[in-house]
Amino acid sequence: MDFDHNTLVAFSKSYGLFYLMGMSVVVLLYAFWPNNRDRFDAAANSIIESEDKPCQ
Amino acid sequence: MFKTHYKLERNSVALALGIIVVSGIGGLVEIAPLFTIDETVEETQDMRTYTPLELMGRNIYISEGCYACHSQMVRTLRNEVERYGPYSLAVESKYDHPHLWGSKRTGPDLARVGAKYSDAWHVAHLINPRDVVPTSIMPKYGWLAKTPLEMKDLSLHLKAQQRVGVPYTDEQVENATADAYAQATPESAGQDGVLERYGEATNVRAFDGDPKTVTQMDALVAYLQIIGQLTQVPYADNNSEKKGE
Amino acid sequence: MMAQLTSSERQNIIAIGLAILIGGFTLAILGRNDILGIHALLFVAAGGLAIIVGARNLYKPEPSEDRSQSYYDDPSKVGIFLALIWGIFGMFIGDWIAWLMAFPDMTFSEGWSSFGRLRPSHTTGVIFGFGGNALIATSFHVVQRTSRARLPSQVLPWFVLWGYNLFCLLGVTGYFMGITQSREYAEPEWYADIWLVIVWVSYFGLYIWTLARRKEPHIYVSNWYYMAFILVVAVLHIVNNLAVPLSWGSAKSYSLFSGVQDAMTQWWYGHNAVAFFLTAGFLGMMYYYLPKRAQRPIYSYRMSIISFWGITFFYMWAGSHHLHYTALPHWVQNLGMSFSVMLLVPSWASAGNALMTLNGAWHRVRDDAVLRFMMVAAIFYGLSTFEGSFMAIRPVNSLSHYTDWTVGHVHSGALGWVAMIVFGSFYALVPWLWKRKSMYSARLIEVHFWLALAGTVVYVFALWNAGIIQGLMWRTYNDGGTLAYSFMESVDAMRPYYVARGIGGLLFLTGTILCLYNVWMTTRMATETDTESVDQSVATLQPAE
Repeated sequence: MDFDHNTLVAFSKSYGLFYLMGMSVVVLLYAFWPNNRDRFDAAANSIIESEDKPCQ
Repeated sequence: MFKTHYKLERNSVALALGIIVVSGIGGLVEIAPLFTIDETVEETQDMRTYTPLELMGRNIYISEGCYACHSQMVRTLRNEVERYGPYSLAVESKYDHPHLWGSKRTGPDLARVGAKYSDAWHVAHLINPRDVVPTSIMPKYGWLAKTPLEMKDLSLHLKAQQRVGVPYTDEQVENATADAYAQATPESAGQDGVLERYGEATNVRAFDGDPKTVTQMDALVAYLQIIGQLTQVPYADNNSEKKGE
Repeated sequence: MMAQLTSSERQNIIAIGLAILIGGFTLAILGRNDILGIHALLFVAAGGLAIIVGARNLYKPEPSEDRSQSYYDDPSKVGIFLALIWGIFGMFIGDWIAWLMAFPDMTFSEGWSSFGRLRPSHTTGVIFGFGGNALIATSFHVVQRTSRARLPSQVLPWFVLWGYNLFCLLGVTGYFMGITQSREYAEPEWYADIWLVIVWVSYFGLYIWTLARRKEPHIYVSNWYYMAFILVVAVLHIVNNLAVPLSWGSAKSYSLFSGVQDAMTQWWYGHNAVAFFLTAGFLGMMYYYLPKRAQRPIYSYRMSIISFWGITFFYMWAGSHHLHYTALPHWVQNLGMSFSVMLLVPSWASAGNALMTLNGAWHRVRDDAVLRFMMVAAIFYGLSTFEGSFMAIRPVNSLSHYTDWTVGHVHSGALGWVAMIVFGSFYALVPWLWKRKSMYSARLIEVHFWLALAGTVVYVFALWNAGIIQGLMWRTYNDGGTLAYSFMESVDAMRPYYVARGIGGLLFLTGTILCLYNVWMTTRMATETDTESVDQSVATLQPAE
């Protein structure tokens, strides 16, 4: 059989690692992308302001 | 207006999908190969299924939450093998729906408890553990000896087991109730049927010491006596190589 | 509760109640020869109750004010009380069974009160009853504030809240009757599980619907965590609970998987329930209430995002560390161990982020017990994630597994992190929600803080000792090369620690009762008279003064 246990395990072991690295790169890029900085700052500060009413 | 709204919605859906994908892959990579694991589970010739009485005993073990304090998994560590017996093999719980490996040993591991004590010891111990083991902190299970075992829908139990993949024969399903009764009632007419369907080595005894009624105690003790005894493979001499690498 | 609903919404409640009633009645008839017949009556009662409440209020006046001008907080208010009531119930059972481990006859002789049936009632009561209701209540509050949008439905939040509590009740009453799947932290049987899926899908729908109405393109990070909690718990719940019931009329089912697959599925669930129920959701809580209470933005928003994906990603692989040295294949054990160790990075990033947010406001932490609850929560979060990664290392696990060390670890997370962040958030939230100037008694909060902290420390230290002694006794050899201690000797050695644990638990329980009293008295205080925004006045509040 082509798709046996060993194939699955080998796939898990190898591509699992690539996936881990790729995933980390994407997340770090997103978090440190310069254009996102203002957006993050705005979000962090937005909850401190208090208007206890939905925006109209 | 519609456009910005659409874009906003897209963000939240993307977030949801991202979470599913990122978290899902870990689970898949780790669990998917286990479904082809039959290929690595040890081969056994002598593995039998639980008898209906033992299965009901197992259900009582589950209902009473025994798994919260007793594991059924001897790890591959020298001290555990010396304390309890041969380490547990994957094949031993092949028919366990659900598994009862447990996570805590407030009491000792039970993977090798089968055939270790007498029925009378188990009955006395379950009625009041401190009669047998003076400093035990186990709860008393006196009501088990007084409660008759519910046996009428045993065929349904075996049928459901069949559906999840346990190889019960249709004959075993049909005779489930009769077999449960016969296993706890020695010298009864059904005794030969039990031995024929589940093997000559099957315990046929009045487990609670009273052959007249089949109680929950009968079932639980029947189960305790078969734990780790469904196959003799773990006890074979040549079973020293590590599994699952 | 019903005053904010229009009459068509009240009709919807009656319709939903009717559907539950009919469903429950059908189940009761199908299961008339089984214990299911009795248990299904809970559905009938719940449906009937919804119909009665809806019908009695059907012709009462409709809400006069424009509802879109305000947030919808009634479900959060009820959720806070439900959380605290479940908390007291669950902690009471927990402390009872803690004493049972030192004095095993301190119970009744009937089956319902034996340790094995009480124990899942404790775990379900505190994790799902206390923790779950706290998550639902705060998530409704946070998602509206951060989206600046009102919940889009008035009926759905009630369905989610009460439906969820019906699930918890089905679970706990089931255990008392011996109905359980024996899957740790997923004990309720198939019909309760299906019911939870319905509730949970509604919860997700409601949450994403509210987010879709938000006014900003960026979604505040708390919502990411709440969303991960909702979504992943749904996946875990469905996969782990796959089972075949004997029939539609039987409470009993057999799990689809068996043996090693089943063990792996169960602990994949079990560990990720810790990750996404007991961590992600409560981090969402922390990322909103901590900055809000401290009046300082989160130290690093970027770090909160990075650790979010780290947690979402790493946790899923870690479950197999519950099965070291078992019949599970070695590579899966090693994978679980490696990822458990890596998990320390996003975990400490989150804990550090919380503490750094407080940096510069330590004088407020000193004076404000509410902020102190949150700080201690972050510290315990850091401690127990470190301990968790440590215990996932195979050789360490060979000592710690199966012992009370594991139980101590869990409680350092559950009491120190989960419960502390809940109490901190509740004390911050209650005056805002009820528009009171402050909590009823700052002194009671102070007392609660010290009771909770003392209880946690006593508990955790007792079980550290217990677990390590137990683990060592099991593996100690004589000079002659035989095992030095019998199993019973290790049991006897536990007694003083079990007593200490019972005392620690009692302190913690007492604190929770004070919390409920304090919240109740706060809701009975006069509304704040000045009309300025409540949030602003809370900002300058110093309860300890």
